[in-house]
Amino acid sequence: MSALAQATVYGLLQGGLLAMIAVGFSLVWGVMNVINLAHGGYVLLGAYIAWELHAAWGLDPLIGAVTGGLVMFGVGYVVQRLLVNQIVNAPIFLTLLLTFGLQLVLVQGMAVVFSADYRSIATPYASQAFTLQSFGLADVRVPYGRLLAFVVAVLATAALVVFTQRSRTGLAILATGMDRTAARLMGINARHVYALTAGIAAALAGAAGALVGLVGTFSPPDAARFTLLSFVISVLGGLGNMYGALLGGLVLGVVQAWAGQYLPGTWVNAVAFAVLVGVLIVRPAGLAGRAFYEARVEAT
Amino acid sequence: MTGVRVLAAGAALALVLAGCASKGTQNQTGDTVNLGASMSLSGALEKEGKLTQQGYDYCVSTVNAKGGVPVGGRTLRLNIDYQDDQSQPDTAGQLVDQFNDKGYHLILGPYGSATTGAAMAVIERNGQVMVDSSGADDKLFDRGYRRTFAVLSPASVYAVSIVNAINELATPKPRSMVFLSADDGFSKTVAAAGEARARSLGFSVLPTQQFPAGATDVSSALTRIKSSKPDVIIGSVHLAEGIAIIKQAAELGVTPAGGFAETVAPPTPDFVTTLGTKANGVLSSSQWVPEVKGSDGFFGTATDYRNGFRAAFGQDPEYHNAEATAACLAMVLAVRKAGSTDPGKVRDALAQLDEQSFFGPLKFNDRGENVTKPMSVIQIQNGKLVTVWPADQAAGRLIWPGAGG
Repeated sequence: MSALAQATVYGLLQGGLLAMIAVGFSLVWGVMNVINLAHGGYVLLGAYIAWELHAAWGLDPLIGAVTGGLVMFGVGYVVQRLLVNQIVNAPIFLTLLLTFGLQLVLVQGMAVVFSADYRSIATPYASQAFTLQSFGLADVRVPYGRLLAFVVAVLATAALVVFTQRSRTGLAILATGMDRTAARLMGINARHVYALTAGIAAALAGAAGALVGLVGTFSPPDAARFTLLSFVISVLGGLGNMYGALLGGLVLGVVQAWAGQYLPGTWVNAVAFAVLVGVLIVRPAGLAGRAFYEARVEAT
Repeated sequence: MTGVRVLAAGAALALVLAGCASKGTQNQTGDTVNLGASMSLSGALEKEGKLTQQGYDYCVSTVNAKGGVPVGGRTLRLNIDYQDDQSQPDTAGQLVDQFNDKGYHLILGPYGSATTGAAMAVIERNGQVMVDSSGADDKLFDRGYRRTFAVLSPASVYAVSIVNAINELATPKPRSMVFLSADDGFSKTVAAAGEARARSLGFSVLPTQQFPAGATDVSSALTRIKSSKPDVIIGSVHLAEGIAIIKQAAELGVTPAGGFAETVAPPTPDFVTTLGTKANGVLSSSQWVPEVKGSDGFFGTATDYRNGFRAAFGQDPEYHNAEATAACLAMVLAVRKAGSTDPGKVRDALAQLDEQSFFGPLKFNDRGENVTKPMSVIQIQNGKLVTVWPADQAAGRLIWPGAGG
């Protein structure tokens, strides 16, 4: 029983971080119909920024997450404005090609600049843990580092939900996602809004990268893994809904933890993908997806 | 008209001959011996690939500084051409094929068992010859290939040597062990052999837990074994999974009474830099340590090798570097012995090779494995690798229990 509880707690904590990695990917996909294959590269850039700040000045990875997020906002904005916006109306194949190329450049660039060494941001608290004794589960440990990463991830995702639903800019992003022509007629600058969306997505990815550095290890080739995870979580959670990614991340985290508990360890990925397929059969738009992209009016 | 035809036929013949020439030998161009190597210079195994490349490069610079490779009365300069296989086995196979098309028949192995396995099949088909520096999975040598020779100890020895060391040196002697293994062929072979050895020595061995190779989350395996409280946890892993085991065991409060041992990961510098004090006490097996006995004319003793490498790269060599240099050395010694760069003659020279080196004995059985070389066991003590087993190489005593850093 306590093993299951431990696996569940760990899976939830892991899932929160996965959600933060994926939420920006889902946002960009939902609003612009761009599958950003360079997303994993953004996560790692954020991780390296936090790692450098820690190595140079001993700054905590949480400060690294804020700095990494801000820097990556700029990177995401500029990349979208200068590159992706040029072909955002082109067939999706072209955006896939462009972002795939970008990913290759980022990964190789990071390998040159930071080397392929495995990195981790060491803090005195990350591996410390408290137990859930007061709930009668003395054996279940909650590591501080992962809890912190989870809380930051959930808050950031919640902030994104509020931002998109309550602020003028957020509504402009959603409106542009629903109908670009109508949004333009309302005076929204679609190019700027797209770049802003990409910037926010990159910022969240960068901040999540710093948290990855806090709880785990990373090296440039991990970029592909983060991109794949983001893809799976976005599809699982559903597009067009900011908390779809949060839901998808948590479900994936817990499913992987449970599968690891009751099935041979090498089945974990197969089970995760089986759950994805199962959900898509029952709910083709994902767990929380509204499928608004299909309904939107495309400018010609 | 006839003249035009003769000219055309002549031109065609010239093209055919030129084509043949380009398929001809590039093993030796002028006063240079050319070796080809497909290497993980990007992709998942980039880190290990670059360590291997460093070892090969150090071999080239040292051999050339000593005058080069003696071949039939001449001394030739040594050169290695690399191609990036992106850590993909099928790409490694294609690159070895391309080397063959360019006339390179003397090949140094890529990094890892999967890429080496793919390259071996191509080597055999093309009649090239390869010295393997890092493909240790015993299954690679079950296929009856006769043109690949591995300088390193096979996978079946990795965990066995750790179990032997614990059995001989640990007091109090642990009672139970568990293996946590990645699901790649190499790691599974390591774990299975280690498990069998531990059982035969009378240890109680819990069922092995597996996770996907390259996993950075091994929490499920740790949660599953936590309640059985094994005395020793042995990870049959590579670097990423090895770091994850130690990190997540601390998070989950999995603290074996004896300690942790892991294959492959701990001798890599990143293990200590990433884990800090948590790395202390972890045992590992190593293909090479500076205390290895034996010497050769190019690199001297193991200590000479370490000093020379440190002077060249500003850091101590670890075993991935050393096994790569040793593979290159075996090729150089075989070319010297054969007095030729002809792949058939070099193959025969490798099969008969029986030399001492900074890496220990270089001698292959009829499967192409180097079974005479012992494997050493090291422990991380105060962030440094200390050789603790076998007794004739030991530079320090085993600290036991090793857990708790």
